[in-house]
Amino acid sequence: MSPNIDNPAYLLTLLTGGLTNGALYALVALAIVLVYKTTSHINLAQGEMATLGAFAVFELTRRGVPVWIAIGIAFLLSFALGAGLERGLIRPLERRGVFPVILATLALFLIINAGVAIIWGTQPVEAPEPIPGGIEDKVDVLTGPPPFFVTYVSLGVLAVLVALLLGLWLLLEKTKLGLGYRAVAANREAAQVMGIPVGRMYMFGWGIAAALGTLAAALVAETAGTLDFNSMGVILIFGLAAATLGGFDSVPGAAVGGLVLGLVMAFVPGLFTVVEGDLSVVIALVVVLVVLLVRPQGLFGTKTLERV
Amino acid sequence: MAEALLQLSDVHAAYGEVEVLRGLDLEVGEGEVVVLLGANGAGKTTTLRAICGMVGTRGSVRLAGQELVGRPTEWVIRQGIAHVPQGRGVFGSLSVEENLRVGAWNRRDTAGIQADIERWYGVFPRLAERRTQLAGGMSGGEQQMLAVARGLMGRPRLLLLDEPSLGLAQIITRELFRQLEQINREESVSMLIVEQNAELALSFAGRGYVLESGSIVLGGTADEVRGNEDMRRAYLGY
Repeated sequence: MSPNIDNPAYLLTLLTGGLTNGALYALVALAIVLVYKTTSHINLAQGEMATLGAFAVFELTRRGVPVWIAIGIAFLLSFALGAGLERGLIRPLERRGVFPVILATLALFLIINAGVAIIWGTQPVEAPEPIPGGIEDKVDVLTGPPPFFVTYVSLGVLAVLVALLLGLWLLLEKTKLGLGYRAVAANREAAQVMGIPVGRMYMFGWGIAAALGTLAAALVAETAGTLDFNSMGVILIFGLAAATLGGFDSVPGAAVGGLVLGLVMAFVPGLFTVVEGDLSVVIALVVVLVVLLVRPQGLFGTKTLERV
Repeated sequence: MAEALLQLSDVHAAYGEVEVLRGLDLEVGEGEVVVLLGANGAGKTTTLRAICGMVGTRGSVRLAGQELVGRPTEWVIRQGIAHVPQGRGVFGSLSVEENLRVGAWNRRDTAGIQADIERWYGVFPRLAERRTQLAGGMSGGEQQMLAVARGLMGRPRLLLLDEPSLGLAQIITRELFRQLEQINREESVSMLIVEQNAELALSFAGRGYVLESGSIVLGGTADEVRGNEDMRRAYLGY
């Protein structure tokens, strides 16, 4: 046990740290889920596309564009890139089966990773700061000693997650576009005979996922302080783990899965000193395995609820 | 003679190398109910899929004179066709009401859509009771009613029904066909029905076709089809 087990500031720090990281995993998991729901594909390049988007933000801010406008532009560009890749690369390959698609996303992973390294180099660059990230940009909660505070970055990341979940909920549940998207996710062929342009729903899923990924990568970079061509490598693993945990076809599941994963990875090594920090990854994956053994469809995933 | 509402001429359709339809001719007149009979694997479902552009097709499929072959499914549906697929194919993770709204995908008249939803709730009260429930949790008969109502939400000129009685209790099948008859009479929606229950379907349809190995071997009025010796032996069992 950690000697700090009865220290409220220490526990609260683990909590906010876990939630912040968890929110970032949740954003990546959301992107993976939004692609998976309609097309049943897992885009292994989701993280690298996000890195590319974050570098677009970096490039724009370096040229003097205000950071939130830069994020908005990168968001739209990523949407177009995601939708375009679905239409131009994934859909033609899909007719040949699942493996060509997986290989194509793996190829995209390598190409984008190398491309980013060629254009922006392999050295980390200073991350753009959409949220004030200075040493004084925090809310003091406990004056201590020991003190406890929450940084604006932590609050901002959580606020972005909440805002995005709300926005996605409105988009999917309250608009006709969302109804069409969910219909395609529920039953592709039936959606087609209702006259829904199924292909456009695929593009929409890929586009919105890429845009979310870009936002996630910008926040990951700010949290880490720097951005480099491998920034999203490990985060993609955690995003996949969070999506598995929550259930691959569930939007709320992705959010909960990410947050749970973040908390587990903060608290397990934080409380049990026998667990080295690096082992938190293993612990997280063990949790995922246990959940999958008990509930193979994940926490919120749907077993197809159909009677004959 | 004016061209029928739906006209299939020399239609060939294939899944990859396997040709399922081999020169099929068929027509459905305005306001007419036509039943398509045939053994399993004769190509009945494929005929409906060919009309909707869901299988590689050659030949001519015309709706009110307009060629449908080579068009994407969503375009075909916009021309006024509704397809109720086999095994119902409701959206299990959507509510009953959302299913009906998806059926009205190509319509813009919000008030009309709402009125039609209420109307089908009136026709199928079970759906009204379950309007907020997920469609996947309903019984087979309820899902079938939902699938039919969802198809009609698009206000089609032509309704394609693939085995509507499959897996339904006889009493529910009767009720369903009674509803279809009423819809045909009152709305003059034309129907092309694929049905295993030949006796029931022929009692409702004006004309029938018998499909064998991908082409029509017999066509005529319901009475003619019913009266055909071979037909009776093969499909009606007496």
